[in-house]
Amino acid sequence: MFNKLLFHVLTATQGAAEHAANAAEHGASAEESHELPNLITLINKSFAHHYDALIYAGVVALFMIVVAVITYRKRQMIPGPLQNLVEMIVEGLYNLFESVMGKENARKFTPFLGTLFVYIWFMNLVGLIPLFKSSTSSINTTAALAITVFLYVQYTGIRRLGPWGYIHHLLGSPTDAVTWALAPINLPIHLVGELAKPFSLALRLFGNITGEDILIAAFVSLGIMFMGIFGSPIGFPFQIPFILLALLTSTIQALVFTMLSTIYFFMVMPHEEHH
Amino acid sequence: MDYQTALSFALPIAVSIAAIGSGLGLGKAVGSAMEAMGRQPEAAGKIQTGMIIGAAFIEALTIYALVGLLLLMGKIGG
Repeated sequence: MFNKLLFHVLTATQGAAEHAANAAEHGASAEESHELPNLITLINKSFAHHYDALIYAGVVALFMIVVAVITYRKRQMIPGPLQNLVEMIVEGLYNLFESVMGKENARKFTPFLGTLFVYIWFMNLVGLIPLFKSSTSSINTTAALAITVFLYVQYTGIRRLGPWGYIHHLLGSPTDAVTWALAPINLPIHLVGELAKPFSLALRLFGNITGEDILIAAFVSLGIMFMGIFGSPIGFPFQIPFILLALLTSTIQALVFTMLSTIYFFMVMPHEEHH
Repeated sequence: MDYQTALSFALPIAVSIAAIGSGLGLGKAVGSAMEAMGRQPEAAGKIQTGMIIGAAFIEALTIYALVGLLLLMGKIGG
């Protein structure tokens, strides 16, 4: 059964290469075609190919919802193992956000930012399970997350600073004649800076996770080719050290996305009360 | 030389040049952070957070080169 699976993997990889060639002829980008095939692409290459990221994002979200509901329903004074784990994650995240944005803001934003971290973390990690795919290795997923953060940050800015305060902030918070004179120069700089944030967030996560997945896929096919010399249908697991490395980078990239979002939130808030 | 040959030479070189720059930057950033942590171990947590964010900004430049490679890799063909 395992041999058959590997055969499928190998043929599907070749199919992906052909698909990339076809896509290149038609001028479309072939961003997902160099990765290992997953369950969806193995079942139906033509129909579900572009929806696999969406489906696995849904699977991860469903898993998170189920864990949250179970933990919430069965909460006790003396926590069981699951409740202990969830409490540990939530408390750790809360302490992290508190160290950046202060107590009140951390209380307000931990539900959003903490969910963001756990969601991205699980989406990164799920790609390391065979036949699963990291949804974050599709630019659509990361762009959606980054746009959500961008809109929420701007909303928070307008809400906390007021419309005029927000424009004042975009002008570089001018106070005297010199800074008011420089305000017209500051405005485009700030606007471009605000618009560059979601791009950099989305591209960083997408590039890291895609690079990681392509690296693993390349070493899997290298292992299959290497053992193919001896006529073995099972590949040599060259990818194991890179999977261990990917465990590390998945966590770090989720953390970086969340920390940068936290800092973007902190930057649009009025600053007097936090010092 | 057609554009496909030019691309297949240029893309890896572009990423490697970006990686050299990022490597120098990361080495400097992490080295300074480690020095600061060694001098002031009680502030290690704060320094580490700042270091990771800075490292993410430096590393992003290589990732942009990698994204450029991913976008143009389909044009090489084969």
